[in-house]
Amino acid sequence: MAKERLPVSLKQFFRKRVRTAAALAAVLALSVSVPVLAQDAPVQGGTLIYLEQQAHTNLYPPSGGFYPNGGVLNQITDKLTYQNPETLEIEPWIAESWEVNADATEYTFKLRSGVTFSDGTPVDAATVALNYDIFGLGKPNLKYPVSEVINNYDHSEVIDEHTVKFVFKRPSPGFLQGTAVIGSGLVSTATLALPFDELGDATKIIGSGPFVVASETLGKELKLTAREDYNWGPAKFEHQGRAYLDGITYIIPPEASVRIGALLAGQADVIRQIQAYDEPQVTAAAFTLLAPNTRGVNNSIAFRPDNPLVADIKVRQALSLATNTQEIVDTLFSENYPRATSVISSKAAGYVDYSDKLVFDQEKAKALLAEAGWTPGPDGILAKDGQKLDLTVYVSLPQPQNEGVLQLIAQQWAQVGVKLNVLPGDAGTRTLDQLDPLKTPVTVAMVGRADPDVIKSGFHPKNRDWLLQKGGSSQNVQSFVDDDLNTLLEAIASEPDHDKRLAISGEIQARVLDQYYQIPIFEEPQAFAAAPYVHGLEFEAVGRPSFYNVWLSR
Amino acid sequence: MTRYVIGRIAQAALVVWAAFTVSFLLLQALPGDAIMIKFLNPELGLGPDEVQALREAYGVDQPLLVQYLQALGNFLTGDFGYSVQAGVPVSPRLWVNLPATLRLATLGLAFAAVLAVALAFLSTLSPFVWLRAVIQAAPGLFVSIPVFWLGIMLIQIFSFRLKWISVINPGEFEGLILPVLTLAVPISAPLAQILMRNIDEVLTQPFVAVARAKGASPAGVLWRHVAKNALLPTMTMAGVLFGELLAGAVITETVFGLSGIGSLTEQSVRFQDSSVIQAVVVFSAVCFVGVNLIVDLLYPVFDPRLRKQKVAAA
Repeated sequence: MAKERLPVSLKQFFRKRVRTAAALAAVLALSVSVPVLAQDAPVQGGTLIYLEQQAHTNLYPPSGGFYPNGGVLNQITDKLTYQNPETLEIEPWIAESWEVNADATEYTFKLRSGVTFSDGTPVDAATVALNYDIFGLGKPNLKYPVSEVINNYDHSEVIDEHTVKFVFKRPSPGFLQGTAVIGSGLVSTATLALPFDELGDATKIIGSGPFVVASETLGKELKLTAREDYNWGPAKFEHQGRAYLDGITYIIPPEASVRIGALLAGQADVIRQIQAYDEPQVTAAAFTLLAPNTRGVNNSIAFRPDNPLVADIKVRQALSLATNTQEIVDTLFSENYPRATSVISSKAAGYVDYSDKLVFDQEKAKALLAEAGWTPGPDGILAKDGQKLDLTVYVSLPQPQNEGVLQLIAQQWAQVGVKLNVLPGDAGTRTLDQLDPLKTPVTVAMVGRADPDVIKSGFHPKNRDWLLQKGGSSQNVQSFVDDDLNTLLEAIASEPDHDKRLAISGEIQARVLDQYYQIPIFEEPQAFAAAPYVHGLEFEAVGRPSFYNVWLSR
Repeated sequence: MTRYVIGRIAQAALVVWAAFTVSFLLLQALPGDAIMIKFLNPELGLGPDEVQALREAYGVDQPLLVQYLQALGNFLTGDFGYSVQAGVPVSPRLWVNLPATLRLATLGLAFAAVLAVALAFLSTLSPFVWLRAVIQAAPGLFVSIPVFWLGIMLIQIFSFRLKWISVINPGEFEGLILPVLTLAVPISAPLAQILMRNIDEVLTQPFVAVARAKGASPAGVLWRHVAKNALLPTMTMAGVLFGELLAGAVITETVFGLSGIGSLTEQSVRFQDSSVIQAVVVFSAVCFVGVNLIVDLLYPVFDPRLRKQKVAAA
């Protein structure tokens, strides 16, 4: 009965309440801190939905340069070494340790034991030797091309079950980094026995990676599942066992607005190739924007000096002065696309800040062109000896907003009286015309690779030959050749001393810019967007995604 | 009757052969070819000698007539050649992509027909003049809407805002709703216009006046008497549209990420993959003439007057 409540002192009254309150607070604190703790620790399970813009074409590891190919290869294959994306140091992975001889013609790798391909066959010295024999020399009867990153390869030697040696005809200092690139993923012997074209079928690629191909609908969808017995992540990773995710589904919606909308509406988890103008949508919705640098030659335009219109260095210099790269970056891009300050990215090995060579000065440009003998014609376009300064460039589809960039450049050049025709072109015409300096005096140039060799990849006549030199890939070149440049390029690929290589890289950058062969515009990233519950998304040195450490907190 | 049918089939075969030959000649006349595009890619880093060796391996440098006869012979035996870009034979790619296009085409046409009939009937039966005018303007609007814009708008509204339909990894039928709608709208426009015009024409015929005099309601007149007569020219148009749809709705397939004949066409044109383009051209030609042949043969089935003529001729 209420009236018969026992009298209780004030102290006792409060003590009871305080105790209850303290107990409640403790319970609350625990219940709040437990989820916080859980968020920090990776959770196993879940399937990631990843949206790509294009389907993969061929999964022969050296074809991994193409981003859709690399995005798949990076999950299903492992490499001998791992390149730390922050420091660019080479760390052990499938190879535990290695020795390089003094002039970089012999590399001996000691392999980790217990590594197997997903079909059970061991990753031993014999298989690794076979892989590199094919990457280094190609396999003409099965139509396998040679890997772009391996220079001067001679042969391999199997010393014992876990030791393999590679021998080169000439010093090959870039080889160590070459064992870490996407193009050097290790695949099984059975895979390498198939004709090149059959490697377009992802289910036929057997690697040793943390994921395996479960099924594929060509051109539309690819399903990977985690490999249960995976136990050999890169040596310096804490996480060595199987991937946290149960699986990854790659879906290919070609339309950009569908990809972004799907991510923001919760139908997808990670997307690649998000354009600068779509970034505000992603950040506004508190999603994660990741734009790893590709660390290679910057997004730029290069000249073909064999064409008489741009053979004069004054003309090239004037065009470089007439290009306002800051305006391009401010108008079309975001802070993830920094303005270029040299031939290669500021995050690349060997980068030297040459921003003093990359100036915008319209008046000086006009003066130089006048000095070179070009006078404005009746239509405002400069002319000399009856020829107009009328240049052509083809749009490069893989580069972001390339048509916009080129058209802005065309507008800037028009202000000094130079006409630039920006052509979209169809694949056939473009491929043919790109080999003819008379048809394409200007070209778009960009390549990503985190090694000083990248600069040779772009300019050397035997590689991409952007400048179209005599002795290169084109039969249409009349006379242009730059022996000094080529000597430097060959030196960088064969100098065993690391510091000397970086010094040579600086010299090459200086030469390219002093000769005004190239106008670097911006450092091209690979732009990804991810949902807030996706953790652990990492990128290898050139911006390809790695899903090994990814976990989902939903 | 059989002579007529055989004659029509022979005509159809001639059309298909002509399509094959003309497309072969046009493709050969284009600069560059698929091998060059694929293997002169700087990322592969092949030298000109290696590319030349590949060209010989694929047999693209043989004389034109030899290539033509080889291709013709192969097509007749069902071997459509090899897709250089994808690195797989063409036939499997075609058959794999066909079901998606068939589903899309059939459902798209069905929806378009429903929409067209609805528009035509509404416009005929509408009590207000202004309403009739609005409905008659609808086909013009429908055909002017850009297909890609419509597709993207539908996705934005129904999938991303309202979240009724999933575009990524949808179920079989869920994934068809929006593309079918996107296709049906512009396809319904010509159908609706022809139907409306024919209905108006038939309504002026004497037997309609007789039906009205006998006391039939406007709806009754329309449904029982006019519709069947107005249907025939619409059927021809529907046949033509179905043939077009079978050739692949490129834009719709790209927006919705479906892999049908349309996206196959777009990819092969982009990379100048001649074998695939030829196969698609021949396939489209076969579909077109096939559908038109069927429509022609169905005419007597729908219209008894034509049946009697045939009997009299035979």
